[in-house]
Amino acid sequence: MTSIQRKIWTLAAAVMFVMAAIWIALTYYNQRTQNQYNTILQRYLHMNEVTNASQMTVTALNNYRLSQTQENLRQVDEGKERLRAARREVMDLRNAENDFALTSYMNLVDSLIETTDRSIMFLSEKETEESTNAFSEATRISKYISEMTLTLLDTELKTYDRFYRGIIEQSTELKKFGIWMLLSITFLLLLFTYWFSLSITRPVHKLTQAAKELSRGRFDLKVEVTSNDEISFLAKMFERMRVNINNLIQEIQQKAQLENELQQNKLLLRESQLRSLQSQINPHFLFNTLDTLSKKAYLEGSEETSDLLASVAGLLRYNLKRLDRSVTLYDEVKVLRQYMEIQRARFSDRLRFEADIDESCLYVQLPGLTLQPIVENAVIHAVEPLEDGGTIRFAIADDGDRVRVEISDNGPGMAESKIKEILDAEERDRAGATEGHSTGIGFSNVVRRLRIFYGREDVIGIESSAGAGTRVTLMIPKGRSEGKDDQAADRG
Amino acid sequence: MSKPIGIVLGIVCAVLLAVTLMSADKVFRSGPELPRTVVQKQAEYHLVLITQELETPFWDKVAAGAKAEADRSGSSIETWGSYEKDQEEFLKKLEIAIDSKVDGIIVQGLDTDDFKELTKIKAAFYGIPILTVANDVPMADSLRRTYVGSDQFRAGQMIAEQLLADMGTAGTVILMGDSREEYYQQQRVKGIMDVLKKVPGVRTEYAETIESRDQIIAATQDVMNRLPDVDAFIAVNANIADAMVQEIGRRSQVAPYHIYSFDDSPDTMSLLREGKLDGIIEQSPEEMGRLGVKLIIEWLRGETVPLDTDGYLTDIRMRKAADAP
Repeated sequence: MTSIQRKIWTLAAAVMFVMAAIWIALTYYNQRTQNQYNTILQRYLHMNEVTNASQMTVTALNNYRLSQTQENLRQVDEGKERLRAARREVMDLRNAENDFALTSYMNLVDSLIETTDRSIMFLSEKETEESTNAFSEATRISKYISEMTLTLLDTELKTYDRFYRGIIEQSTELKKFGIWMLLSITFLLLLFTYWFSLSITRPVHKLTQAAKELSRGRFDLKVEVTSNDEISFLAKMFERMRVNINNLIQEIQQKAQLENELQQNKLLLRESQLRSLQSQINPHFLFNTLDTLSKKAYLEGSEETSDLLASVAGLLRYNLKRLDRSVTLYDEVKVLRQYMEIQRARFSDRLRFEADIDESCLYVQLPGLTLQPIVENAVIHAVEPLEDGGTIRFAIADDGDRVRVEISDNGPGMAESKIKEILDAEERDRAGATEGHSTGIGFSNVVRRLRIFYGREDVIGIESSAGAGTRVTLMIPKGRSEGKDDQAADRG
Repeated sequence: MSKPIGIVLGIVCAVLLAVTLMSADKVFRSGPELPRTVVQKQAEYHLVLITQELETPFWDKVAAGAKAEADRSGSSIETWGSYEKDQEEFLKKLEIAIDSKVDGIIVQGLDTDDFKELTKIKAAFYGIPILTVANDVPMADSLRRTYVGSDQFRAGQMIAEQLLADMGTAGTVILMGDSREEYYQQQRVKGIMDVLKKVPGVRTEYAETIESRDQIIAATQDVMNRLPDVDAFIAVNANIADAMVQEIGRRSQVAPYHIYSFDDSPDTMSLLREGKLDGIIEQSPEEMGRLGVKLIIEWLRGETVPLDTDGYLTDIRMRKAADAP
């Protein structure tokens, strides 16, 4: 992880490096140019030195000729020595252009020295005329040397002409280079700074954005920061916090939902109890009366009436007792039969009831008073309004891990909207009232209780088409899920 | 800041960087090198060719021939000298050459005392061999090792013979010469006389003049006044020819006169082309330069010692106006 500090260091180091590189390059360049200038200047100085030394020698010689003192002789010797030294220096200046001239030049210097020696020698031998001749020759040679120096310098200028022009060109180039360099460094730094600041501010910006979203309550947006410094660390922590909060909220929501469902369950039970209480104003009195009526009918020889009354009493009793606890399918079927007895008495031939029951399936548990309201519904809609009555088919069959209970009729069928009303909770709430149910428990109440009891939606299905009757199918799980129902039962 | 700004900045940077690099390359690429002071193979001998007439076609050819030969044999040669026959400068150059202790001097002979003094005493003192070229100075006077160039005596004869062939055996001939009476000029005159003397019908007149344009014109006028029936002119010194021909041309037609000269002047060749000269003696300047260098190197190497003091003669040809291209 590169920290922001490291980034800053890198920027500073890069700038330093560039500066150093430029400094080194310029120093190197300067040094080179300086050396070149030195070389050139030295060439001129060396050549000039020859001229100077030769003139000095001749002057010293003249002085010596005028007064032959040791001091003057020393001067001459000194001049000669200087001349020799200058000659040695000049030797190094040889190049292709001035090779010949330089050789001649050095030989001229030699000649001057020799002539000077000769003049002194003649002087010491008192041969004045010879000495004078030699001196004038030396003077001439000295003059020639001066001239030759000029010629050599001239050659030098020609030889180095291109070089001098090159130097001038280079210095203008250097100026241009300086400007370009300044420009490019400026822009490079701008770019670098831009990139650098971006690498710091972009993650911060993203983080700010994410914090804003969170503060608005949106916990589902992922916090993503692609950088490799402290900001990214912050962002990661922030992301973790978001996820945690998100999870907590979800948990709370789930709990609230659960609570809500429980509440609903309880309310439904209350409603059922209320309804049943309403219908059992004085159940014992009603039972006793019904029993008495049944016995009286029996004694009077009206056995059929007696049985009917007994069925009504049984149905009533079952209805009151079993509403808030689960019962077996067997009980339900028994009650259903009693109910059908009663209805058969009412509709006689108009009601045809066909039952096909798989006895092995009767052990399954289901909420009390489930089947009766459904069948009653069928009677009300498929038998009662029709002059010819109708057939109600009741079947229980094993269907894998469930038991299939089918109640079908051949009535006019149900409208699609009606089915929806029954199966859909919200529609149901609006409908509210139940029409003419003996137990006061409507179809929709059954549907809801079944769903709550089994904790699943697909326990009941209704198929219907106009004129072809209605088929209600219950898919009752064999091993029903425990817990929920027990709770509900305890509460009851 | 947004992305486009970054991109633009990047492009600008790239362009600037490229330009800067190019500029840096220009600056730091080592500019013109200092001419190397490498001491290459030293020339075997340093020779000097000294002439009084620098940059004339004749002497340019001599110098070219000498240079070619020197290059071939690994020696170096420089051409020094004076312009327009400046004797003082010429002698100074000769003295410098001697004082510079060159290995050999090839010099245009100058028949003066100063020249002889320099060659005989000073050059001999330093032991520097001297060759005369084109114009000779007698061995006895100059202690020259040898002479390379045309046989001036023979050249005179040739010109005289040509004159006789053109003019016939009767007529008046004016010889015009430089008043300095240099050796090579004397030889030419001798050669001419040698031929003409034998022909009784030919009358010769020798006119001397200083080598200056006014003087030449004056001399030409003078001689033409004295000898109005002149038939032919011979400019023994080629440098006189131009002014002479011009003066003749001013007075009358040039064509009727037979005018002859030599090729060692820049003017004569063009005069010949214009048809103002009837003929010139053409020498072999390149050969002179070449042979001169060759001989002096042979002498220095000790291959040919001594050199033939009579001289090594180079080819001469008569060139007539009719042959001129």
